[in-house]
Amino acid sequence: MDFTFDAQQNQFRDAVRSFLVVEAAPERLREYWETPTGRSAEMRKKITDQGITSLSVPEAYGGLGMGDVDWVQILEQVGYHGIPDSLAEAAYLGVAILNALPDEHEAIKKKWLERMVAGQARLAIGHPINPLVHDAEIADLILLWHNDELHATTPDKVKTTQRDSIDASRRLYEVEWTPSDETRVLTADQAAPIWAEAVDRAALAAAAQLVGLAQCMLDLSIDYAAQRKQFGKPVGSFQAIKHHLANVAVQIEFAAPVVYRAADAVANNHPRRAALVSHAKLATGRAARLSARNGIQSHGAMGYTWEADLQMYMKRAWALDAYWGDSVFHKARVAEFIFADDAPLGPGETFTA
Amino acid sequence: MKVLVSVKRVVDYNVRIQVKGDGSGVNLDGVKMSMNPFDEIAMEEAVRLKEAGTAEEVIAVTIGGDKAEEQLRSALAFGADRAIHVKVNEEVSPLTAARILKAVFEKEQPGLFLMGKQAIDDDNNQTGQMTSALLGIPQATFAGELKIDGNKATVVREVDAGLETIEVDLPAVVTADLRLNEPRYLKLPDIMKAKRKPVETVSMADLGVEAAPGLTVTKTSPPPARAAGIKVKTVDELVAALKDKGLV
Repeated sequence: MDFTFDAQQNQFRDAVRSFLVVEAAPERLREYWETPTGRSAEMRKKITDQGITSLSVPEAYGGLGMGDVDWVQILEQVGYHGIPDSLAEAAYLGVAILNALPDEHEAIKKKWLERMVAGQARLAIGHPINPLVHDAEIADLILLWHNDELHATTPDKVKTTQRDSIDASRRLYEVEWTPSDETRVLTADQAAPIWAEAVDRAALAAAAQLVGLAQCMLDLSIDYAAQRKQFGKPVGSFQAIKHHLANVAVQIEFAAPVVYRAADAVANNHPRRAALVSHAKLATGRAARLSARNGIQSHGAMGYTWEADLQMYMKRAWALDAYWGDSVFHKARVAEFIFADDAPLGPGETFTA
Repeated sequence: MKVLVSVKRVVDYNVRIQVKGDGSGVNLDGVKMSMNPFDEIAMEEAVRLKEAGTAEEVIAVTIGGDKAEEQLRSALAFGADRAIHVKVNEEVSPLTAARILKAVFEKEQPGLFLMGKQAIDDDNNQTGQMTSALLGIPQATFAGELKIDGNKATVVREVDAGLETIEVDLPAVVTADLRLNEPRYLKLPDIMKAKRKPVETVSMADLGVEAAPGLTVTKTSPPPARAAGIKVKTVDELVAALKDKGLV
C-alpha cells in the first residue's frame, strides 16, 4: 500500500492551506462567531471560488470528480484552521450522499450537485448518531435519516430549535419533523448502505479534521513555549514542557497514517472499512485531546481563556471528538472486528488493499 | 505580446533553514519546497497582463532537476499557457542561469521578460540584471508598478531613496518587487487544468549553453545568534554605549 500522496494531492493541500492562512485567521473567525448565523457568505463564496465545494462533484455536473483520498489532506487543513463552516458536511458528505442516489433521482442529483458547484447549496445532514443537526436553520436542503430511509426537506418545513455547543462557532439545531411520502427520497432498502457509508465518511472527515486541530494546537503551544520566558530562558527549553509537547507530536505522527489508511478504505469500499474508520477516529480523538490538554498546560493554563486562540481549536476538537460517533461507539466497532472468530489480524493483513 | 516568466524552486519561506553539520550546505531532506515568492509576484503580473488583453501568451521557464516541474505546474495553475523546463541537476550560478535564460529568450522572442527581483534561497539579486546585460536589452529592476503602453513599459522602481519612475523600450527584463501585486491563491480546478498544459523539457546542451565557471561555495554557516539588547537611561549612556561598540 502506498501511503504517499501524489503531487496533485499535495498541491491541493498547499493551495487550500495558503488560502486558509489568510482567509481564516483567528481574528476573522472570532468576528464570524459574533454573527447570528455564525457563517460568512463572503467566506463561503471564496471557498466556492477555490473549487473546494466542487471537489468530489462528478465532472458531468461541473465538478472536479475527486475522491476520499483527495479530500483527506484538505479536511486536515479545514481542521487546522478551524473554519466556522459546515464544509465537511456539505461538500464532502452531502455530495457523497447525492452522488450515491440511483438514476431515477437524477433530477435531484443534478439540481443540488450543480448548485453545490455554484456555491448555492448548503446541505445539512441529520442522522440519529448525532442528536443535533449542524447548520439546519440556514441549510438549503436537509437530508434526514428515518428508519434507514433517506428523506430530504428544507428548513421552512421543519421546526428547528438552536442548542448551544461548547464550540461557539458551531450552530446546532434540534430538528422536529414528520416523515412523509413527500419527503422520502429512498426506501430503507435503498438507503441503508448509503447511510452506512455516510457514517463512515463523516467519521473519517471528523478524524481528518482532528489531526489538523491537534497539529494546530501543538504549533500554537510551541510558539508560546518559545516566546514565554522563565528564569531567563524560553519555557519550551525545560523538559517539563518539552516532553509534554513531544508526546503530542508522537500521537499525531501515529494518528495521521491511520486516517490515510481509513480514507483509502472508504474510497475503495474495503471490507474492513468500518473498523478502519473507527480506528482513525479513536486515534485522532486521542491525539487531539492530548494536544488540547498539554496545550493548556504549556500555556500555563491561560490557554483556556477567551483571549487565547488555543481555546477556539480546543473546543472544536472536543466537539468533533464526539461527533459522528463517540469513543464508545467507535471502540465497539473496533472490538467487533478484533474479537470476531475469523478476524483477519496480524502484520500480513494490516495493509491489504 | 508574449511574456516570459522565470520561476525558481526554493525552500519554502516558512521553513526554518538548518545548515548541515559539516557546513557543506543547507539541509534539504524532507524540506518543503515552493516557488520563489518574488517569482510568484512576477507570474501574477504576467497573468494579469494576459487577463487585461495586453499579453497573448504567458510562458513559464525554470532551471533545475526533475522536481522543479512541481513549480512549473504551479506556474501553469497560476495561468501560464505553457512551460519550459531546462533540466539541470547541478547547482546553477546566477551567470549560468542568465546564460540559459538568454538562450530561452532568444528562442521564444517574448515582448517582456518578468522575473522575481531575487530568489529567497541565495538572495543574489543578479540573474535579472545579468540576463538583460547578456541580451543587450533594457532592465527595470525592483518593480513596484508596471504599465505597458505599446512598445514601452513604465516601471515604478522601489529604490533606497524612495520611488523612481522609468520608461523602458520593450523587450525588457523587469524584476518584481514585493509590492507589485498580491498573488492570487491557486484554485483547485486550475491545478487540475495545469496537468494538461504542455511542458517542454530541454537541456543546457539543447540550448547551446555552457555553465559559467566561477562560484564555489566553500562553507555554509548559520548567522550568529542575536545577542540580547541593553536598556540605557540617558542620552549620555547611549552615546557611551555606542562609543564602546565603536559605532560612533
